[in-house]
Amino acid sequence: MNSKPKIGVYVCHCGINISKTVDVDAVTEYASQLPGVKVARNYSYMCSDPGQLLIKEDIKKQGLNRVVVASCSPRMHELTFRKALAEAGLNPYYLEMANLREQCSWVHADREEATAKAKKIVASAVAKVRLLEPLEEKEVEVEPATLIIGGGIAGIQAALDIANAGYKVFLVEKTPSLGGKMSKLDKTFPTLDCSACILTPKMVDVASHPNIELMTYSQVEEVTGYVGNFQVKVRKKARFVDVDKCTGCGICGEECRLAGRIPNEFDEGMGKRGAIYLPFPQAVPAKYTIDPERCLFLTRGKCGKSPKCVDACPAGAIDFEQKDEIVEFKVGAIIVATGYDVFDATRKPEYGYGQYKNVLTALELERLVSASGPTGGQVVLGEGESAFVPKEIAFIQCVGSRDKSVGNEYCSRVCCMYTAKLAHLVKEKIPEANVRVYYMDVRAFGKGFEEFYDRVRREGVRYIRGNPSEAFKRGDKLVIKAEDTLTAKTLEDEVDLVVLSVGLEPRKDAREIIDLLRLSQSADKFYLEAHPKLAPVDTATDGVYLAGCAQGPKDIPDTVAQAKGAASSALILLSSGKVKVQAQVSSVDEATCRGCGYCVEICPYGAIELVTVNRFGHKVTVARVNEALCKGCGACAAGCLSGSIQQKSFKDSQILPQIAALGVKQ
Amino acid sequence: MVDLENLRTIAKETISREDVKYFIGWREGTYGFSVSPHFVREPAEADKLIFSPLCSNNLATYLTLAEKLPVPRGQEPDTRKVALMVKGCDSRAVVQLLVERGIEREQVVVIGCPCQGVIDTKKVEQLLGQPENVVRARWEKGKIICQLPDGEKEFIKEEVLAQKCLKCRYPNPVIYDILFGEKVEPWCQEEDFQEVKEIEGLTLQERWDYWQEKFSSCIRCYSCRNVCPLCYCEDCILDRLNPTWINRSVNISENTAFQLSRAFHLAGRCIECGECERVCPVNIPLMKLNKKLSKAVKEMFDFEPGLDPEAKPLQASYRPDDKEDFIL
Repeated sequence: MNSKPKIGVYVCHCGINISKTVDVDAVTEYASQLPGVKVARNYSYMCSDPGQLLIKEDIKKQGLNRVVVASCSPRMHELTFRKALAEAGLNPYYLEMANLREQCSWVHADREEATAKAKKIVASAVAKVRLLEPLEEKEVEVEPATLIIGGGIAGIQAALDIANAGYKVFLVEKTPSLGGKMSKLDKTFPTLDCSACILTPKMVDVASHPNIELMTYSQVEEVTGYVGNFQVKVRKKARFVDVDKCTGCGICGEECRLAGRIPNEFDEGMGKRGAIYLPFPQAVPAKYTIDPERCLFLTRGKCGKSPKCVDACPAGAIDFEQKDEIVEFKVGAIIVATGYDVFDATRKPEYGYGQYKNVLTALELERLVSASGPTGGQVVLGEGESAFVPKEIAFIQCVGSRDKSVGNEYCSRVCCMYTAKLAHLVKEKIPEANVRVYYMDVRAFGKGFEEFYDRVRREGVRYIRGNPSEAFKRGDKLVIKAEDTLTAKTLEDEVDLVVLSVGLEPRKDAREIIDLLRLSQSADKFYLEAHPKLAPVDTATDGVYLAGCAQGPKDIPDTVAQAKGAASSALILLSSGKVKVQAQVSSVDEATCRGCGYCVEICPYGAIELVTVNRFGHKVTVARVNEALCKGCGACAAGCLSGSIQQKSFKDSQILPQIAALGVKQ
Repeated sequence: MVDLENLRTIAKETISREDVKYFIGWREGTYGFSVSPHFVREPAEADKLIFSPLCSNNLATYLTLAEKLPVPRGQEPDTRKVALMVKGCDSRAVVQLLVERGIEREQVVVIGCPCQGVIDTKKVEQLLGQPENVVRARWEKGKIICQLPDGEKEFIKEEVLAQKCLKCRYPNPVIYDILFGEKVEPWCQEEDFQEVKEIEGLTLQERWDYWQEKFSSCIRCYSCRNVCPLCYCEDCILDRLNPTWINRSVNISENTAFQLSRAFHLAGRCIECGECERVCPVNIPLMKLNKKLSKAVKEMFDFEPGLDPEAKPLQASYRPDDKEDFIL
């Protein structure tokens, strides 16, 4: 394409977003005088149908071969206008966006100065557009399978939806069982459905679904490739139990020398298990796992004369020789449903968690009220003779949420309602108990939430507006010190049990997934969605979607809805069967490349490899870009010391004139 | 004492190997304190090899300088190894070249020479002037002895050693195939970056004035770049015309751009052999620039180049806990 550039410049008013601070007529007039510009127009909304039609008509009638749209960020509408160019028969990469909105009108107040700046931005886009080259968009096939990381309710729901649509799912769960945090809950607000009763059938469905390959006690180790074609490596940790033989009868768990001596994670450490264990009765798969950090045989190499589990197992399923197994497979899409961590209440030492026995987190109380919990559903504190039923119970809300002092400014969205639910359950189990809830605000925003909150108050739960300053011990009672901000009275309430309504936090191992999939984090450190409103389940990495609390705190209905959204996004990709790959890829000048391999290390997509070429009879090593893998991020071009890698549409020779046109001397 | 007989035997044996192309070492220069690189291709040529306090040149630069002329059709390129004498600092250049794949390990035979420090010819010439005749020098009992026409002259190390040697932490080669001589004790354990801190202590204006003065004398001879063992791009961006990052004109603006680009391209790569500063005809303290970047790299990323051939290059490696507070 060597014909003389005939450039069309289209200045957008963006309603009044741009035209309020920028004199669009003056900019248009200025643009029409720039070298190579054949047409310059302005229009109220360039992105609208008539706006796009202007461009298409000019391309056809005036023979334009380059287009500058001076409107908003290319993130907004670059694709829109590329499509318009393509529809008019022009290569879509002959487009350059001049960002007059985010980079000019929105950030300036002075009309004259803003107009002057807008002119420069347009001039620089014109300087670049003449140097652009036509690029070709390639398509690649999509592997019709999905990887789902995390086997909580989000992962379960997404897996079932995708599998039911007829596509293969690999569901990878870190712990020995599916279920996630939801399986620990007794009831769910506001309907008081039994959590296990609604979750367990789904867990069983996942395990028996022909399209789902369930990998529990497994971790994703490596993901390479790109949208449509990810290569995944999963480590299946050794359970030391042959899952094909194990019937889940549980004899080993009873026989284990450490039976009843290891705090059970499922019961938040309040129940006890052995070194060989089933995390909870409804676990899926119902297979036992040996805890390699606790098992006497694995840690000391000796367990009595012979390990009791081995002797006891009627199926002969125990296998201490088992090794971790690495499984590799290909998928087209990935859903991250890794969930959250519960706020560590010891970070609010004023409430005495970890210091006083009778200060519990809400999740611990959840286990106490649960029929499958360590007390069989009885709210009993203490052990043996000192065991007692608490009569004065205080809930403190917003522990670790809406609290800058612990770095969590956000609302965890579930604590108000689970507090109400727990208050209700406690009241149901101990009708004579006095239940108080100390709160800042009650956020009962969801369907049926306000009604439930109302119901709980009518049942006699007292809501006291005021965040307690501390909880301390006086005799065998705990004292809550607070101010009732509605009556401006200071309170010192003596109670038997303090329950901390702890918030939700990003997982401590969140970084692992970030490194694996190149995700971003929002300010609250949860994974960042591609757009908060219009792409809430997508991420910056194409083909990777988010579901559940990994993206931010949410309740079960929202999690399920988002999981279905993520499943639908993955299905769109899988069912279309093809995906366009980036055209603005990097390319290497093999004549000057010195083969140092910096770019190979820098490339986050594994798109560059070193190859040996013949240079005048010498075998030399140079870098080569796999265009299907390249995402056009430009990191290699920035890292190349000899400037031998250039990114198409962003070559030095294209960018430098663009900068020069801004008035900087070259 | 340096056992030159042993060195020459090593060289003869090495060059007699079928898989060795040539042996690079030092020989006496033609006047004064200078020494020359010596390319030994025949065993007989090995007798000219020396190793003395005057051998400051970093020969590692010749590994990548060797021109690769087109190979005539039907012939195979000569892929035999190059044997190379290295001091401690020079050996770090070899390591860094390996890290950057500038050379392959099997292409070199490294003759490691533990070093007690080399003479800064500028320092010694200030003391003695520039003799016409060839001067020889040797290490003896912690001192440096120079053989001058009018007899021997003894110096304590601080008087004549190069600045880099006075703070040398790696006098012993960090990589070698054959070790020549015995290992020596490092002078220094910790880098204190004293000369960098002095400049950092100045005000912005003072620093600017300091470097303006230094850079204004630059004649853009490119010696600093050419001598550097780690500046070996086939097509240096400092030479490039399209796009022209740096103009040919010798003025303060272009000189500054040139010097800063050169230093930045060596960030996390410079192994501090000091060759750039040694060859600078107008005495620009280039090592201060290089060290400033070394200090930043050390403090921010706890990284030192040229020590581990298996290490990943700094610019191409990433750790989740890398400091990023310099990003606004």
